[in-house]
Amino acid sequence: MEDGESVGTPSSMLHRCIIFCSVCHLLVRAAWLFLPTTVLAQNPADEHVGVELVSEEESIVPHQQLQLGVRFDLQEGWHTYWVNPGDSGEPPRIEWTLPTGFQANSIQWPYPIRLSTPPLVDYGYEHQVLLPVVIRTPSGLTEGATEQMIAHVHYLICQEICIPGQKQLVLELPVRDHGTASSNAVLFESTRRQLPKPIPEGWKISATSAGGEFRLRLRARKVIASPQFFPLEPEQIENAAPQNVSATPGGLVLHLKKSNHLLKPISRIKGVMVVSGTAYLVDVRVLQSSGQGPGQSKQN
Amino acid sequence: MKRNLLCSVAVTTVLAGLCYGQRVGEPAANFKATDSNGQMHQLSEYRGKYVVLEWHNNGCPYTRKHYESGNMQRLQKEWTSRGVIWFTVISSAPGQQGYVTAQQENEYLKRMNAVPTAALLDPQGDVGRLYAAKTTPHMFIINPEGLLIYDGAIDSKATTDQSDIATATNYVSQALEEAMAGKAVSTPTSRPYGCSVKYAH
Repeated sequence: MEDGESVGTPSSMLHRCIIFCSVCHLLVRAAWLFLPTTVLAQNPADEHVGVELVSEEESIVPHQQLQLGVRFDLQEGWHTYWVNPGDSGEPPRIEWTLPTGFQANSIQWPYPIRLSTPPLVDYGYEHQVLLPVVIRTPSGLTEGATEQMIAHVHYLICQEICIPGQKQLVLELPVRDHGTASSNAVLFESTRRQLPKPIPEGWKISATSAGGEFRLRLRARKVIASPQFFPLEPEQIENAAPQNVSATPGGLVLHLKKSNHLLKPISRIKGVMVVSGTAYLVDVRVLQSSGQGPGQSKQN
Repeated sequence: MKRNLLCSVAVTTVLAGLCYGQRVGEPAANFKATDSNGQMHQLSEYRGKYVVLEWHNNGCPYTRKHYESGNMQRLQKEWTSRGVIWFTVISSAPGQQGYVTAQQENEYLKRMNAVPTAALLDPQGDVGRLYAAKTTPHMFIINPEGLLIYDGAIDSKATTDQSDIATATNYVSQALEEAMAGKAVSTPTSRPYGCSVKYAH
């Protein structure tokens, strides 16, 4: 911290950054012209995805959690993966290097979409996704100081073909007594709406194992649209099987075909159920059924 | 058997997408396929031997992890020397990543010092769909009695990083060792990891 005033003001930082970045940009462009193709090929994923470490606020506020995230901007046709990637693929991983006393929670996964390439189904994201991570900060941070956070991200992107990538992403934020929304704040807000919530009051969910399928029975006060279930554990259900719905008085039953890989009974089924654009976390005990129709399936 | 028969029939029809493959502990469905030297193989010819099926796509980063490290070749060498039949199966459709002609595959095998018993060319995806092969690699083991005893990943570390191979549990070697010692296979299924098999659309 040589010159507190000029370093501290956002506009001077911005100017320096713009000049610095412009120089970098020119250097990078110049370097690309001279690099042998083998070096260029080291991170071919860059051509199809932008990966950035972003913060909801432009500063670190003492005694408050810091909301960071890794944002993927995928080229049309490309996708990356959910925590359970489904039939193929691999979820992104983040290794953190943080200042002393900072601790990263695990990734909060927004609900995915089904990515179908018959006969397979994967779970993941297209276009843009933010993977939020809460960072717990220590007490006793010095206002005016700058803290550096590094996320080493490993990821796989696929279109017809798959390309693994990894990036070291660096974010520096000043410690201030108040927070200011960053340009990514809106994205953090919309991403929060895609995180699984607890099952609403008044809903009842139970699961039975019946022959070759699991039946998720859902009872709600009002009629709900057809849900979609994303399993959190791999190899419990066939990802590509259609999830048929049958109506029951006061609710519905979702039929999930058991995975061929499931050789033993399971005690719980855990996943994310998406109903009309809202995701709910399902984690229920699996009861054994005698295998009759969905109307008589709830037995123990 | 009935399932397998149904599956076999389904493969030849538009219902192929509804086939969910074989089940560990049950008889593995028979198949016929031509290798890169033009020789026809069918599974039933190899009753009495262990058979490993390895789904392959030479451009997939997960396949490359195991070939560029020499891991797959080591496994092929070790297990074929112990009497195991090892089929590399290529189900990439023409125009898709990993599709090869017989000549291209033979050049690849030579260049990589790969030593499977044979590389089966399955451009229509019939064998792949029959076994519900999902990824490259995706590994299956059939025992001398013709029962499927393993269906899943090559090992326990689902990454493209070669340095993970040394510390991973290799499920194929583990299953073969256990089965040959007369023991139950401790991990008979696992989530196969890798690129999706590039079937015809």
